Amino acid sequence: MNTKNSSNLALISIVSLVFFLAAWEIYCRMGFIEPLFMPAPSKILSRAIKMLNNWSLLGHTLASTRRVMVGFIVSSLVAIPFGIFLGSSRFFMAVFDPFISLLRPLPSMSWIPLSLLWLGITETQKYSIVFMGSFVPSLLYIIEATKNIDPLLIRAARNLGASEVDVMREVILPGALPQIIAGLKVMLGIAWTCVISAELVAAREGLGFMIMNGKEYFQTDTVLLGMVMISVTVMITDLVFRKFEKRLLPWTL
Amino acid sequence: MRSRKLYWTSILMALTAMAVLTVAPGTVAAAGKPEKVTVVYGGSSWIGHYPVWVGIEKGLFKKRGLGVLFQSFYASSGRMGSLVAGDLDVACTGSISAIALMAAGNKGFMAFGTPDSYATVEGVIAREKIKRLEDLKGKKLAVPFASSAHVLVLDLLEQIRLDPEKDLTLVNLQVNEMPAAMASGEIDACAAWTPNFNMLLKMPGNHLLADDTQFSLYKKYQLGPGPDLLVVRKEFAEKYPNTSRLFVEGYFEAVDMLINQPKESAEVLVKLTNLSMEDQMAVQKDIKWIRGAEQKALMLQPGQFVKGMQLLAEFLVKHKQIDAAPAVKDWIAADMVP
Repeated sequence: MNTKNSSNLALISIVSLVFFLAAWEIYCRMGFIEPLFMPAPSKILSRAIKMLNNWSLLGHTLASTRRVMVGFIVSSLVAIPFGIFLGSSRFFMAVFDPFISLLRPLPSMSWIPLSLLWLGITETQKYSIVFMGSFVPSLLYIIEATKNIDPLLIRAARNLGASEVDVMREVILPGALPQIIAGLKVMLGIAWTCVISAELVAAREGLGFMIMNGKEYFQTDTVLLGMVMISVTVMITDLVFRKFEKRLLPWTL
Repeated sequence: MRSRKLYWTSILMALTAMAVLTVAPGTVAAAGKPEKVTVVYGGSSWIGHYPVWVGIEKGLFKKRGLGVLFQSFYASSGRMGSLVAGDLDVACTGSISAIALMAAGNKGFMAFGTPDSYATVEGVIAREKIKRLEDLKGKKLAVPFASSAHVLVLDLLEQIRLDPEKDLTLVNLQVNEMPAAMASGEIDACAAWTPNFNMLLKMPGNHLLADDTQFSLYKKYQLGPGPDLLVVRKEFAEKYPNTSRLFVEGYFEAVDMLINQPKESAEVLVKLTNLSMEDQMAVQKDIKWIRGAEQKALMLQPGQFVKGMQLLAEFLVKHKQIDAAPAVKDWIAADMVP
């Protein structure tokens, strides 16, 4: 029954998508909207085929994916231990709280001028934009996840003779991990918005560059194709993330 | 008798009414009163916008009953996008953006003139160790992609048979970011236009490697890689012909002023460009202004400029910047060419 329901829902989603694309195509073909402002899906598809044939679409997608993954993984590697540490220590949380509050509202784009001065026109500069855009929000998710561990469980473990390391490994980490993973999944999407900012300056490849260059030449189909590619790539990485989550946290699924 | 009088009176009244109806609009047209008093213009600190700035500051539009609102745009693409979206009425644009928009099939704008010819205020500037274009092999050359400087670089590299994908690294950088990148040594050379071009040339150790005079179409047709083009929103030109005509008059009077009174013009232009008076005068010396009287020959008969634009469109196709070359002559507003 449940499987049947899922199939029905999937069918409804597919029909909805097909209907939307068909309406869009008809609307454009009937000339209600100028292609410069909104090209038909068939135009976007033909641009995709053209760019797939000369490998440029794959090149742009891989360049952006690499930037997102490097920036995001480095930010996660720093944010996870640091967030758990801050979440379990009220003293250090008080020490770092003003800095986190100051950094939290800064959009990734605001780091562009400083990153250019500090790191120059390099790939590291682009990774740093993704890093700065995803680090503080990840850190906040992890701090919250750590704080949400029932203190009774921590006290019980200590009463049973567990050391601080044991408490961390056996209670805090397994307890906080599902929420951390959920937060990181959200952050991965945000990291993709950062890469667009990163590719605004001194980039010659990547989906952000492809979108901006398409805009310069009024190739709206290229702009929309870049946007579609970002969504598709995020969907694929989300699927990979779910597989990873399933293996890492079998008890939550 | 009475009916005859009535008959002639009716005829006379009808003729008078017809005369009023036919002559009145003509009288307004002859007087040239603008139908719309504010023209929204898309500009920047680039030389192609000097006439409008001078026209505003010297009251050349005001005396024609026009108010011109000068809106600044960093790039031609943004300016052209706003023009066809209806936010601007008139603009001067680099022809690469205009050609790209024509190639996209947009018919919402028309071209009516070209204000200037420049060849020595845009070019490739290199650090001391790079003596010739050939020395760029293996180096980092910054250029704003999708710009006239980009076209110049692609052409220069083609002339010396260097592959922009393999033989050197092209860095996509905006001109205002180039001075810092050159100073820090992150790039070895850059392609820029005035006023940043002049600032870069003044930096110690920098020198000019090539300018627009080395562009292949310039050598053959005296056409730079991104000549300036005056464009008008089609709907605006059709709806407000007097306003459009008066704007063109004011614009080319400002061009005459730039030619005849360069110092007075420079005094008001420094507010736009932030250059020193000396630098401003030097930039103006490098520009050949094209008067209103010369426009017909360039744009219509024989239309040498439009032919050059067509060649530029084909050049862009050859370098895979646009998909297909548009027929540029289809975008010329013959009625507005002075």
